[in-house]
Amino acid sequence: MNLTLGDVRHVQWGFAALLRLYSQAESCRFEDIAIDLSGTSWFDADMCAAFGALLYRLTENLNTVSLVNIRPGVEKILSKNGFLCHYGREQIVDCWRTTIPYQRFDVKDDRYFAGYIEEQFIHRAEIPHMSTGLLKKFRESIFEIFSNAVLHSGTEQGIFSCGQFFPKRNRLDFAVADLGIGIPQKVREYLKRDIPAVEAIQWATLGRNTTKNGAVPGGLGLKLLQEFIDLNGGSIQIVSDVGYWQRANRTTSINPLDYPFPGTVVTIEINTADTNSYALVSELSAADIF
Amino acid sequence: MEKQVNISLFEVVGNPLCVASDDGQKVYERLAEAIRGGGNITLSFKNISTLTSAFLNAAIGQLYGNFSEEKIRTALKVEDVAQDDLALLNRVIKTAKEYFHDRGRFDQAYREELGDDGDDE
Repeated sequence: MNLTLGDVRHVQWGFAALLRLYSQAESCRFEDIAIDLSGTSWFDADMCAAFGALLYRLTENLNTVSLVNIRPGVEKILSKNGFLCHYGREQIVDCWRTTIPYQRFDVKDDRYFAGYIEEQFIHRAEIPHMSTGLLKKFRESIFEIFSNAVLHSGTEQGIFSCGQFFPKRNRLDFAVADLGIGIPQKVREYLKRDIPAVEAIQWATLGRNTTKNGAVPGGLGLKLLQEFIDLNGGSIQIVSDVGYWQRANRTTSINPLDYPFPGTVVTIEINTADTNSYALVSELSAADIF
Repeated sequence: MEKQVNISLFEVVGNPLCVASDDGQKVYERLAEAIRGGGNITLSFKNISTLTSAFLNAAIGQLYGNFSEEKIRTALKVEDVAQDDLALLNRVIKTAKEYFHDRGRFDQAYREELGDDGDDE
């Protein structure tokens, strides 16, 4: 089977392009699937998380996936971040060190993931200078996203992540994808109602809403993430099933997709030049916290 | 005489990153046992660099499902907590109290938002 892919940017049509491609191959088993990237002149590196998750699902069906006719610019970025290593290419040195490598984690790899984040965001001189408060908030946000995937997705196929930073634009992009149950299905099962995917994602992002009903409370993670992004001036996208949800400039937009993502992708873009102190307006006392 | 129990998050988790729900569960188990044993507990956040709501929900939010607010307030205190971490802990506790107080209200809020009276369930 031969498939083609155009440009891939972390916007709705970028996800739609990946999902259209996946829909053409998702029922294949024991096939050779060649994906022709000659029409891909741009590939946002953080989209490797979603792309890698989809290709992983295809190879799990015992298909052999190859990426062919890759343009030099795209091949360079996907080789630098280690993505093409998964498809038989050599990794090349990232001289400018602006990539955050593509990685796949198991759900039990939380400590390995923590080490990856520390290595990529704390112990690298190339990462743009961020205020202490911003860096802490950013790390917390990434861990909240990973924890959400671990706690809610039920995935057995892992969690995929990738990122990129853009020193001149003062932007840092990071994405986490999983191949789990997906937010809409989880919310529908909890509410016992068949609501559209976009509404289900919206429900999950409202403060206090949680699909958890056991001993451990929940319902804060996505809310905290939104609050941080609103203050920072960045953006957040959530793609799950046929739902596309985005928050940027303190405004939420939702749209249905033509083809479903078999799990959930969360991407964040942060403004690394943010000078907010993230200090609290009023002091809290540890003595009466409970 | 009540026994003083000191619990260090760093010692239980093993590193400065209190981010995983599983690690929070380990902390919860120690706290719950100490509360049941009638201890006066001091939970130290010293040397902790990163916290998530997932960790705190498991470690501390979960207590509100098994112990009264009064019991927790009497038995437990925290120390060496940065102000922003205290703010996160505060929100986790508030959310946990609401979660265990009335699960139904969480769902009702959404039904109201949809303009649905919920009679079809």
